Amino acid sequence: MTADFDAQLLHYMSDQRWFAGKGGVSSIREIVRLPWIATADDEPRVRAELVTVVTDSVAQVYNVPIVYYEAEPERMAHAHIGSYDDPEHGSLIAYDALHDRTAIGALVRGFVESDPSGGIEHGVLGDVEIDTDMPSVMLTGEQSNTSLVLGEDLLLKVFRKVVQGRNPDIEVHEALTRAESSEIAALRGWIATVPADGDAGYDLAMLQDFLRSGADGWEYARASVRDLMMEADLHADEVGGDFAAEAERLGVTVARLHEDLERALETDVWKASELAQLADRLRQRLLEAADAAPELASHVVALGAAYDAVATLDTPVTVQRVHGDLHLGQSLRTIGGWVIIDFEGEPAKPLAERRALDSPLRDVAGMLRSFDYAAYSMVLPAEMSSQQHHRVDEWAERNRTAFLDGYASAHGDDPRAHAVLLRAYEIDKAAYEVVYEKRNRPGWVSIPLSAIERLVAG
Amino acid sequence: MTESAQPITKETDDPNWFKRAVFYEVLVRSFKDSSGDGVGDLRGLAERLDYLAWLGIDCLWLPPFFPSPLRDGGYDVSDYTDVAEDIGTIDDFKAFLDAAHSRGIRVIIDFVMNHTSDQHPWFQSSRADPDGPYGDFYVWSDSDDLYQDARIIFVDTEASNWTWDPVRGQYFWHRFYSHQPDLNFDNPAVHEAMLDALAFWLDLGVDGFRLDAVPYLYERESTNGENLAETHEFLRKVRKFVDNGWPGRVLLAEANQWPADVVDYFGDFKAGGDECHMCFHFPVMPRIFMAVRRESRYPISEILSQTPDIPTNCHWGIFLRNHDELTLEMVTDEDRDYMWAEYAKDPRMKANIGIRRRLAPLLDNDVDQMELFTALLLSLPGSPVLYYGDEIGMGDNIWLGDRDGVRTPMQWTPDRNAGFSSATPGRLTLPVIMDPVFGYQAVNVEADLANTSSLLHWTRRMIQIRQQHPALGLGTFTDIGGSNPAVLSFLREFGDDAMLCVNNLSRFAQPVELDLRSFEGVRPIETLGGVEFPAIGELPYLLTLGGYGFYWFRLPKNPEATGP
Repeated sequence: MTADFDAQLLHYMSDQRWFAGKGGVSSIREIVRLPWIATADDEPRVRAELVTVVTDSVAQVYNVPIVYYEAEPERMAHAHIGSYDDPEHGSLIAYDALHDRTAIGALVRGFVESDPSGGIEHGVLGDVEIDTDMPSVMLTGEQSNTSLVLGEDLLLKVFRKVVQGRNPDIEVHEALTRAESSEIAALRGWIATVPADGDAGYDLAMLQDFLRSGADGWEYARASVRDLMMEADLHADEVGGDFAAEAERLGVTVARLHEDLERALETDVWKASELAQLADRLRQRLLEAADAAPELASHVVALGAAYDAVATLDTPVTVQRVHGDLHLGQSLRTIGGWVIIDFEGEPAKPLAERRALDSPLRDVAGMLRSFDYAAYSMVLPAEMSSQQHHRVDEWAERNRTAFLDGYASAHGDDPRAHAVLLRAYEIDKAAYEVVYEKRNRPGWVSIPLSAIERLVAG
Repeated sequence: MTESAQPITKETDDPNWFKRAVFYEVLVRSFKDSSGDGVGDLRGLAERLDYLAWLGIDCLWLPPFFPSPLRDGGYDVSDYTDVAEDIGTIDDFKAFLDAAHSRGIRVIIDFVMNHTSDQHPWFQSSRADPDGPYGDFYVWSDSDDLYQDARIIFVDTEASNWTWDPVRGQYFWHRFYSHQPDLNFDNPAVHEAMLDALAFWLDLGVDGFRLDAVPYLYERESTNGENLAETHEFLRKVRKFVDNGWPGRVLLAEANQWPADVVDYFGDFKAGGDECHMCFHFPVMPRIFMAVRRESRYPISEILSQTPDIPTNCHWGIFLRNHDELTLEMVTDEDRDYMWAEYAKDPRMKANIGIRRRLAPLLDNDVDQMELFTALLLSLPGSPVLYYGDEIGMGDNIWLGDRDGVRTPMQWTPDRNAGFSSATPGRLTLPVIMDPVFGYQAVNVEADLANTSSLLHWTRRMIQIRQQHPALGLGTFTDIGGSNPAVLSFLREFGDDAMLCVNNLSRFAQPVELDLRSFEGVRPIETLGGVEFPAIGELPYLLTLGGYGFYWFRLPKNPEATGP
């Protein structure tokens, strides 16, 4: 029976957007079933489960809260996992708990009541009130996590891929919330497993302010590009959907965020030796990328020269905690202005690297690349006329400049004054993108590749 | 006459009538000429009250019709208690007012407190006889150095707020044109004169006043001369005076300021408001234009979220266009440059710090946009004020002087002078619009009445729906955001009446997902057609809208049985 359940669970998981092992051969190595969470009734029963899946010999732990019913509730068909024989309670039917309102209520009760159960603990920052009368709603469109809106103004972000130790998303949000940063959605609490035998626990979820008025910056920017492309010959600054004012405000927001991060968390200074190490790391990544994407090979020498310039910089570089994976999709436009979300860092990197100090120019370069992507995402470069090329380039340039202007106005340190380092980070990001697109969306390779060509020339 | 219209009597008086009312600004000189002299008049306006009742108008706002040299559209008043000769007589006004009231239509009139015409006998006396009874009625000074912190409002025409008067040998103060000297509110006799004039019209039966240019009544050194404490004190005095003698009449303030400053004109919050009943919400109007041009809800959402709560007995007035230019004082510099570039391509379209166009030409005569804008006007918080002619999509004439381009005669028929007047065309107060798109042969009430799918019929239907739903007048406002920044969605709720308004600000079709958890199980009903939509479930509610499309949904609290 256990094998049956594992198979059903794996089948359910592999259909979910957050499952990373798609396309590979996966098997469940272990399921750590935490104790039942105390509930008023016996039906349903809820607990957190940590499922280790091995895909092509790479192990990944997933956080899968499960709710068990004795009889099949009709409305839950879309969240059905499978049948489970519990040693104590007999034959049960398992469902994804994040689709069940009773189960969600049980998972979050610990934020407002302090009787620990279920092997999980709740941390809170300040006073937390959850409107339990109002049903929660699951947000659509998310990739690697599952987010639920609780009441009118709280968001529970449930991490699906988990590692031991503090999740940087919680760590950074906590520091910024304590520093009263207005560039983020404030952290209100978190859920973690109770650590056992000196091991660090797993962070399972975080609770933060829900920004009801927020809309995704990536889609917002693309709407502007779409607006431009619907006109035959107007320039980017002549179209109603011009985005430059928003890009400038976004630059201000990112600059303020960097100042808040610098204030709230540790900093350091990179001198010649650290800069030489940085250049080495960048070169190493470039070589790895060129191995995976031969299109890059012809540019390695020229790009390497850009990295050499980093190694010979004679002014020290201040480093600090940064966002680490900043792009338009990590920004939300709200009534009160722009807000930056998701401080988990680049998900593919190990935890230590995601927490490493870096120059804020890393984030600036990420955003500059993102404007380029937004410009080309409506019509693929290969399908564009030269007129269209010219016009989307104009859009990207206009908004990149506006973003940098905004950043410089708020930060006092214009990123363009650090051209060598900024260019190096842009190259690094674009090379990473070439590899990513080659693997996932071959039709899009030309977007970062043409950026590489431009960066080589410039 | 509509069935719902009830004559205005003491018995039907609801002191909060203005919160649900649809207002209509009508320029008497431009609406209907009954005498054939080329100038619209009060008798002509009275003839057209049936049209306004049919449209569903609750209250007319009449800009100044007092004797005036007409150098500022009548806002340069030379006698506060009479009617300009070419418009009619006090008896005509009484007859018009009674006719309006019998059709359930209220009337508020403009009242200019801040200044008079330089032709007003008070000013003539003040300059000629400094020691006489009117010597201190205006703000005189030996030098033009005082109050340098007060900005100049009409930057196109005025270089200073002081002008030298050779007769009296002193400078006089004027916040607007130099032919409009400011009254001196430090003089108690000015207070008395103002209250006497108000009493005159209240006794005749007017339902209230739109108070022109109220922020500027007082001057104090080292201030910008706007929103001063003394000004508020005087408004409380006016309110008390009106409430004591004529309860149920309203004061509507024109204070072109940011909402946070404007709320002060409602007066004491705890008392429910003890200054003006209504204030215009100026910044929301340019934001609507900006939001649609940017295809983004944020310009509107932002300004509404920055709008403070107002006292319980008070209400906002909102408008798309009026007799003045599209005001851009209440936007940022960057926004203003943008609006200028977008909506005033010809320099003649710009006036002062605004744009002198009517709604239809501002929107390229696009019916979809006109309907979207009107739907927003009728559903955002505040009482809507329509501008005469916009209900048929009238055009403007940017080649006329000052702001006259948006004050041309109402277009009634395709006949001579658009049916406005029987005078020789050359005698008209302002020429009728004759261009091929907006000319009266194409755009007129008669044609729109005959066509049931016209903008006019559509506007009337929307006003009817608004009047059936107290939530749209009295209800709370909740911006519900949503996944798509091009779509503005909000709830209006009052008791059991809940309305969901969803507006696509983009010219392209758009989807939007809305979080409507608190209405789970409810089947929204689209109010224009009465069509029932799918029930709201556990997941975000998905809607699709055509370019510039919008929905007004009724959300019935108790889902009704729908089976046969």
